[in-house]
Order: sequence, then C-alpha cells, then structure tokens
Amino acid sequence: MATSSHLLLPQALHMIPRIPSKNLGVSSLIPSVNSRISLSRVSLNHSSSNVGFAIGSRKRREFIAKAEESSTVGEDTEAVPEDVAETVEDNEVEEAKTPWKPRTKLGDVMGILNQKAIEVSEKVRPVPEIRTGDIVEIKLEVPENRRRLSIYKGIVMSRQNAGIHTTIRIRRIIAGIGVEIVFPLYSPNIKEIKVVSHRKVRRARLYYLRDKLPRLSTFK
Amino acid sequence: MAAALASRLTKGRSLLGGLTNAFSGLVSSSSGSILSQQQQQRTFIQMGTRLKVVDNSGAKEVMCIQSLRGKKGARLGDIVICSVKESATKVDVKKGKDAIQKGKVKKGSVVYGVVVRAAMQKGRVDGSQVRFDDNAVVILGIKEKKTDEKGKEKKQNYKGGFNQPLGTRVFGPVPHEMRLKKQLKILSLAQHLV
Repeated sequence: MATSSHLLLPQALHMIPRIPSKNLGVSSLIPSVNSRISLSRVSLNHSSSNVGFAIGSRKRREFIAKAEESSTVGEDTEAVPEDVAETVEDNEVEEAKTPWKPRTKLGDVMGILNQKAIEVSEKVRPVPEIRTGDIVEIKLEVPENRRRLSIYKGIVMSRQNAGIHTTIRIRRIIAGIGVEIVFPLYSPNIKEIKVVSHRKVRRARLYYLRDKLPRLSTFK
Repeated sequence: MAAALASRLTKGRSLLGGLTNAFSGLVSSSSGSILSQQQQQRTFIQMGTRLKVVDNSGAKEVMCIQSLRGKKGARLGDIVICSVKESATKVDVKKGKDAIQKGKVKKGSVVYGVVVRAAMQKGRVDGSQVRFDDNAVVILGIKEKKTDEKGKEKKQNYKGGFNQPLGTRVFGPVPHEMRLKKQLKILSLAQHLV
C-alpha cells in the first residue's frame, strides 16, 4: 500500500473525475505539499478516488475562497478542461500552460512500468529480435563461476512475453542428455545474445522436439 | 511413435486429474511449465521413482524409496535413499577408464544418492530455470543395515554431509546446483557443467 501511494500521487493529480462540481477538479490541481499528502492519505483511506477528492475538496473550499479574495495577481489562463469554467481558474498559480494530458488509467500502470524497465535494460544491452526457431548463443555471467562466461547454445523452443520477464526457452543436447533452460531476456546476467541461424518451424512452441530424435536438438 | 505419444497423453491426463489437489499450487506457480493437457507435468522424485545412475559405482538403475528432503519429494540437488534395481555385471567393464569398483554396489543394496538431473524444472536465483530430459543420481554411500545404534549413527552421518561420491567418474551434464549443495567433488568430475 505504501508503494501504491507513490503511484497514486501522479495518477491522482491527473485524474480529474467527471463530476459536475467544478471545485473538485481544481482542488486536485493545487500543488501545495500539504494538500498532496493529505489528499493521498484520504485517497488511501477510501476505496474510490472520487470519494477522496470530494472530502479533500471540502477542506480546500475555504482555502479557495480566501485565495480568490486575496489574489488577483496569479491569474493564469490555463487550458483547463471543458467542464471547469468560471471562478476557479485564478487559483492555478504554479501550473504552467500544460495541454490537457491524457489520463493514465490504473490498468495501464503495470504496462508503463514494464516498458520503462525494458527501456532501462535496453540501454545497457540491446536485445535482438528473437523468435521461435532461432538458433541462438547466449553468454551468461554466472556468479558461482566467476572465472569466465558460460556459453549456452541451442534452439529457441518458445518465447513467453511478460514485460520485463520475457523469457526464452533454449533446448540443446549436452553430453547426450537433452537440457532445456529458460532465460529471462532482460536479465543483467546475460552478457550477449547472438542469433546464429534460423530453422524454419511452423509452430510457436516447439515442445515436439522433446519426443524427437536427439539429432534434431544437437547444435555444435 | 504414435502409440508412445498416445500413452504419454493419457498418462499426463490421469496425472493431472488424480493429483490436482496436491499439485495445483505447484502448477499455477511454476512459470516455465506448460499447463496444456498434452504435456506431462513433471513432478518430484518420490518413492517408486526409477532413476538412472550416472557414475561408475556399479549400479545402473535405482528406485527411490525415500526422499530425505521435502514432503512431496526430492528435487534437483536433493539426497534420496534408493534401492538398487539393476547393477552392472562384473563381466561388463572390468578394466580401463570405466572400471567399476569391484563389488561396490550390488543389486538389492540400499544406497544414498544425490539427484544430479531431474525432469522437473528447478528455478535459479537469477530467474532462469533448468530441466533435463531424465532423472539421474550419483551414489554417495551405502546404507548399512545394522541395529538401532547404527541407525542413529547413520543420521549423524547424514548431517555431517555426504560429500564424496562412491564412484570415480560422473557421466553427462551436471547443473550448478551441486555447488550450492556442497557436492564439489561431483562438480570437479563432471564432463559438462550446465
């Protein structure tokens, strides 16, 4: 729950619920530190964010009234959304002229986090395009075997896409015994992935190779 | 080939049907395994499991009679108590590199073994998983049938740790898990480290 509060903060500030009361929307935009913290606490306590905003706004109404009376200086003409109209535009002092940002929905959070993690990993080591049927060579740094990199070669049996934990399953006959290893593609332990060649396959998952002759899974 | 496949299909289905209660947790948690009904769901090494012996201690095939770790059974790297079902006849190899230690392990003897290859996938700390095509053990020591005193002593012996395999050679690939299980001798004898 603690981590979700960090996530909720930017989300909460952008999420302006479409409720016909205009004060609600703007009160969430007021970027004072205290209001952020109390807002997040309120949104934590209540299940729906709408209710949280409502309660927060009630506390802010006095503040807004005072600000309206006193300040005439900080009148920004912000491109505020259509439903917020009259009185409350003067209160946005700090918010620069930001265009209407698309809402990040709660359901997209994991996708965005995964994308960011993949970007970070790609900067360190770019991952080539790997598909089922590729014969790849992977150089892995094993913490137990610190001397040199282990090399794993084999055919890609499957690729499971799961964001940062996208894995490929490599099969090879080693010393007479078939071995399958699942590698997470974006792991920092993997130092190099190289596609050596490609075999034409008509499947996405090559589990039939387990029943076939070892000759088909042998790669020099 | 088709017949073998068909038998495997039915085996897989009955496995899933009969043991869904016990293994549903395992099935849902393992990320690398396939849940489709066409594939065998590989599970632990338990009582009755036949294992291949991959050293030159004299035994060829062993049946697990007790897993010394885990309630459900042994996994890769665990120690099991086995009964030798088939051993190499003395006629086979007597001299040379593969020389079997004379009269070491005979059929019917009860031995301790460490699982070096398991068909069930084993997860590693870096997120990878490894699985082999067969189940194999390396024999560590013979369990002697003695009185209660000796039985207790055997337990102490286990706590001390079986680190020395009985044979002098190990065949086939050996996973890195042996290092964690302190089976360094096996690691050094191995042909290929996975």
